[in-house]
Amino acid sequence: MKNGIAIVFAAVVALGASWCGLVLAPTLQLGGAKLTTVLNSPDTYPLQRTGEASLGLQIYRANGCAACHTEQVRQDGIQAELMLTALGNYQPEDFKAFTESLFVQQALEPVTNALAINLKGWNGSLPFVFLTTSDKEIADKINQSINVPGVKSELRIVATGADLARGWGPRRSVAADYLYDQPVQLGRLRAGPDLANIGVRQPDANWQLLHLYAPKAVVPNSTMPSFKYLFAVRKIGAALAPEALKLNAEFAPAAGYEVVPTAAAKELVAYLLSLRANVPLYEAPFTPVTTKP
Amino acid sequence: MSDDISKRCCLANESEPTVTRSTVPMWIIVVTLVLLFFGGLYFDSHGDWGNQKLYKPFTSAEQLETFQPKSGAAAVMAQGRASYETVCGICHGSDGMGKPGQAPALAGSEWVTTKGVNRLAHIPLAGISGPLQVKGQNWNLAMAAMGAALPDENLAAALTYIRSSWGNQAGEVTADEVRNIRAAIGNSPPMLSREQLLALPE
Ligand code: HEC
Ligand code: HEC
Repeated sequence: MKNGIAIVFAAVVALGASWCGLVLAPTLQLGGAKLTTVLNSPDTYPLQRTGEASLGLQIYRANGCAACHTEQVRQDGIQAELMLTALGNYQPEDFKAFTESLFVQQALEPVTNALAINLKGWNGSLPFVFLTTSDKEIADKINQSINVPGVKSELRIVATGADLARGWGPRRSVAADYLYDQPVQLGRLRAGPDLANIGVRQPDANWQLLHLYAPKAVVPNSTMPSFKYLFAVRKIGAALAPEALKLNAEFAPAAGYEVVPTAAAKELVAYLLSLRANVPLYEAPFTPVTTKP
Repeated sequence: MSDDISKRCCLANESEPTVTRSTVPMWIIVVTLVLLFFGGLYFDSHGDWGNQKLYKPFTSAEQLETFQPKSGAAAVMAQGRASYETVCGICHGSDGMGKPGQAPALAGSEWVTTKGVNRLAHIPLAGISGPLQVKGQNWNLAMAAMGAALPDENLAAALTYIRSSWGNQAGEVTADEVRNIRAAIGNSPPMLSREQLLALPE
């Protein structure tokens, strides 16, 4: 081998470069991730999982749920929405005239043109989304300029994207969401829906258990495999166990038998219910829909 | 067996293959440099050089900063809750139910859900001492001017928060209202008694 040294050297450089890019850089960037707080609130985020839910993560992993499900919500854009909530003594027509005179002075042509179109179709009903723009500063400016006595408006920050439109969450997933996941179950294929917010979307533990036992019992056309082996079918004792699944005739076991979740099924469901990535964070801001806690 | 193979594959080519050196074509070098250059530009304009807090769709720390919600009812409630929990919650509890022997409840308190905000705002700004009835319970403690050190906006938000949480449904308190009352009572005013408070307009 005439060029042995050169080949070894090239191999070290190639492997070293990919190690730097795939291991070192992410570790430097996110390795120090710490507990954060919910935006504008003293609450810390994320919440530590209960012991049961942490065990559930291992059940999730062992059953290959990540082969069909992701836990990552993607976001394409962010928008500021200016919502009119009260007009005070203004009539809608007066208000239109007032805003038009204002916008002429402000010389924000592209935005005000869009706004004029919005206003034209408005029949005066409230609340009314007045303006949607990706330029927060202009939204702030207009918000201030319509801030006259009686008129109330609210500026909302809204995350946008296909995943969000599917109702999979109010914002994208960020590193903080996975702080307590070991290993992180990002997933890479979506045969089923994203589960990053399943604890918010489907917080009913009984639904989750039924769905795991017989997906078709709750979602008629489901193609998700059933995980029957996480349940025990046993003879009914003195009385039906309180935790026995309430299955309809098609999926019920033979008469005199009941289906009860094993510890693994309960842990898995505790884990699913702990998947809640729905609070605003500094790095992924949005305005929550419920204004009052 | 092995003889067969050596005959078939290797006899024709007995000599050891050698590697020759030739220069890398110029175009590969140029394309690589151009790609590196644009990659560098993209990296520089999108990642803020590895900023932990920066994700798509944000491209710079300043842009992220401008999108932090700072106005609106939700932000006021959130700020109010933060101020309440750091300053008032220690005694009155984060559920607003108060603590026996320590502080009376704010949830459902007739002192909190007044029509106006004048009397209520005097309590954290001046302090309150002596006998006091809250929701039919008798108290006889004292509270220093716990809100005096808070900025007007934060105290107003905290008062708005206690007036619209835990089932309370009273109107908001603005920073201007707090500012005016603070100016009227001056620095370190004496603590007020129940009677003095009741003499104030709501
Ligand atoms: C073969 C692919 C596949 C596997 C493996 C799989 N799922 Fe599913 N899952 C689906 C499909 C498809 C759906 C959508 C239909 C439905 O709701 O049943 C779904 C739906 C769900 C839902 C309801 C989502 C919603 O938004 O309503 C949950 C929860 C869920 N799966 C959990 C799991 C868990 C936990 C596992 C591992 C034990 C798992 N899945 C394994 C394909 C799969
Ligand atoms: C050191 C403990 C303590 C802290 C901190 C505290 N309070 Fe109080 N608060 C009291 C006590 C004790 C009373 C009852 C005084 C009395 O008996 O005269 C009281 C009474 C009140 C009352 C009237 C009675 C009622 O329950 O409605 C209001 C309103 C009130 N506090 C608001 C606040 C606000 C707002 C803050 C934060 C800025 C705050 N308090 C912080 C101890 C405290």
